[in-house]
Amino acid sequence: MLLYTARRLLAVVGVVWAMSLLVFAVVHLLPGSVAHMILGEYATAEAVATLETRLGLNDPLWLQYWRWFSGLLRGDFGASLTMDRPVAPLVFQALGRSATLGGLALALVAGIGIALGIHSAVHQGSVADRALTLAQYVFIAVPEFFWCILAILCFAAWLGWLPATGFAPVSEAGVLGWARHLVLPVVALTLGLIAHVSRMVRSSMLEALESRYVLAARAKGMPERLVLWRHALPNALLPAITVLAVDAGILIGGIVVVETVFSFPGLGRLLVYAIEHHDLPLLLAGMIVVTTVYALANLVADLLYGALNPRIRHGGTAA
Amino acid sequence: MLTRRAALASPFVLSALSRAHAQAGGGTLRIACTASLSQLDPAKTTIAEEYLWCNLAFNGLTRIRPDLSVEPELAESWTWSDDLKTWTFKLRQGVKFHHGREMTSEDVAASYRRILDPALVSPVRTNYAMIEGIDTPDAHTVVFRLAYPYGGFADILADRQAKIVPHDALNFTQAPSGTGPFRFARYTPGDRLVVVRNPDYWEGAPRLEQVELRVMPEMAARLAGLRAGDIDIVWELNPEDIKSLRDNAALRVESVATASWDAAIMNNSIAPFNDARVRRAFHLAVDKRDVVEVVLFGEGSPTHSPIPPSHPFFAADVPFNRADPAAARRLLAQAGHPNGVKVPLVIPVGRPVRERLGVTLQQLARPAGFDIEIQRVPFARYSAEVSGKAPLYIDGYFARPTLDTATHPFLHSAGSWNARLWKYSNPKVDQALDAARLTGDAAQQKPHYLAMQRALAEDPCGYFAYAVNFAVAYRKQVQGVATHPMRWFDLRQAYLA
Repeated sequence: MLLYTARRLLAVVGVVWAMSLLVFAVVHLLPGSVAHMILGEYATAEAVATLETRLGLNDPLWLQYWRWFSGLLRGDFGASLTMDRPVAPLVFQALGRSATLGGLALALVAGIGIALGIHSAVHQGSVADRALTLAQYVFIAVPEFFWCILAILCFAAWLGWLPATGFAPVSEAGVLGWARHLVLPVVALTLGLIAHVSRMVRSSMLEALESRYVLAARAKGMPERLVLWRHALPNALLPAITVLAVDAGILIGGIVVVETVFSFPGLGRLLVYAIEHHDLPLLLAGMIVVTTVYALANLVADLLYGALNPRIRHGGTAA
Repeated sequence: MLTRRAALASPFVLSALSRAHAQAGGGTLRIACTASLSQLDPAKTTIAEEYLWCNLAFNGLTRIRPDLSVEPELAESWTWSDDLKTWTFKLRQGVKFHHGREMTSEDVAASYRRILDPALVSPVRTNYAMIEGIDTPDAHTVVFRLAYPYGGFADILADRQAKIVPHDALNFTQAPSGTGPFRFARYTPGDRLVVVRNPDYWEGAPRLEQVELRVMPEMAARLAGLRAGDIDIVWELNPEDIKSLRDNAALRVESVATASWDAAIMNNSIAPFNDARVRRAFHLAVDKRDVVEVVLFGEGSPTHSPIPPSHPFFAADVPFNRADPAAARRLLAQAGHPNGVKVPLVIPVGRPVRERLGVTLQQLARPAGFDIEIQRVPFARYSAEVSGKAPLYIDGYFARPTLDTATHPFLHSAGSWNARLWKYSNPKVDQALDAARLTGDAAQQKPHYLAMQRALAEDPCGYFAYAVNFAVAYRKQVQGVATHPMRWFDLRQAYLA
């Protein structure tokens, strides 16, 4: 198990490194340059050329990559080209805020998604189940930005119950104000994913309920509550874990949209800024963090899967 | 026992009262911004949000008034030599930087030397290329020696990047220091920039306690915040949103004329617009007043050149013609196009107002025989693929701080922007623009700029459609703010009622 975890961690490092090469290459393929972004719309060709030389943008690509990579090996993420400030605090502060948003969302998705899935499986065919199925289709099909705008128009502009922005520092707004700001973005972020997870749990729960071991449990006169919680649920949850790990990735994508619409100063918007401005050190640092988070989420899911499913654990080298 | 009168007369109560008065209308003003500020160093700023910061925390030697004329700011007065090559500025005394030191001529000289330093790569460096040397004969006098006569020199010192910064304290990311009405408090990139009242401001402390620039990329969120009262000012309103905002009793919408213009850029070196008659025919085909109604919902005004109708030097005697398709067709026939002309028009994807301008011109010019085919190109690819290459494209330019910088580079045959845009050459226009540079006195510049506009109307370089308005929505309690046509807010007198 330890060896397996160590091997997987090494693979994460490899994935992150490959990603950095990919991002580096893609940014150089994009039209325009950071010098144009720094100097603005009215830059003279001469000023652009001077700045490109100063930033070392005319050096061979391998040298530019090595400059960045050797800095990274020393633990130095470099400085943002457009903001003239170190990248590390920018990225980690944004990560902290995004992690709050993403963590809350993921917790809600896991809790509510699983609960709803179980409920509709147990009450299959009921009105509640059918209503939920309809809602699931709607929430899976309609993209986040629609819910974001709708939530802002409805709860912020029309009813005035909640703020239209997603972030207020605790130091200024207090804990209650901070939490009030988080409500709409978290809800917008979770709607689609709750639908997704509850759908999966419902079908795997239905499958479990029709299995032979549930039949056996019922036949020996076990109370229905125990049948559900001891026999059906642990088996039905296995696919949910995989789905949650995948959803962690979808969540990272969704956060970009939600952060933009709700003016939330998180990692997603920092990445958008970095791409728009061709700010390579900022983009690379942000992407390293995102890739690592995603890879680790998958690793945790796999380990959890093993812990819950003895067949995989004893099989040794799954995945 | 203390009587009421005695209480009022006692010095303690009096000082308490005056303190209370100074704080009336204080509080925090929250301004929604679209983009996150990248730079807090004025010399490196390039976007409207950054200019807003520049004007809150810093001063220049001169400043632009809301009528676009220039007045003294940190300079008290100035004189120029007869050859317009030596400009002497007397500085205001007793002006203090936010970190407490008094501003002197050395700071002024250092601020301009910074901008001129190629290593800083300031986006406006070339605007000050005429400066040959800067002398500081005493602590309150600065002398600029120019390489060539330049009558508009005091005007270009009012530009957004030309702010006076302390020569010995240039920590712009952590502790920027200027002489402006507000001091830096804190900045979280992507979230908010907070500035607080400068109690020692040389024009008197502002009434607002604090100003926050909140970064909110989405217009729907900005407007919702405004309606809910979380935000006090939303600026750069879309023309189509203005009417519903005007109907809201809690809000006040101000729409002021600016010198920012949009145009159909015609390449004078490529057919069919290399023929002046075709360019004139286009002007006969489309009434600019119709364009303003359709494209801007009326929030702008037709213009002949980069000089907007709101400027005192606008040639009000040059008429805008009514659409006359028949006359346009006759002129096109004279130019060798009896069956009209077919021409592609490039419009910038991602600039909705300019896209609308393109489509509007396509429709309005059709009866006159202009068969326009729209080509959509992302704005990011414009400088590489469109500028200087396409025969006809839609583009626009943000207001320049002075008449010379707004006109000479764009319309003079040797102008840098002209070489990129229309490649236009008109001796009368050249002559007028050159003559305007040769006087430091605004009144003497006026006839030359009027002559330039008349010459341009007779032989247009392209289709200057309009000068756009700068539209801002305020919550009603925000008072004392001047909406500035250079797209910022003068908050020195602002307060919350």
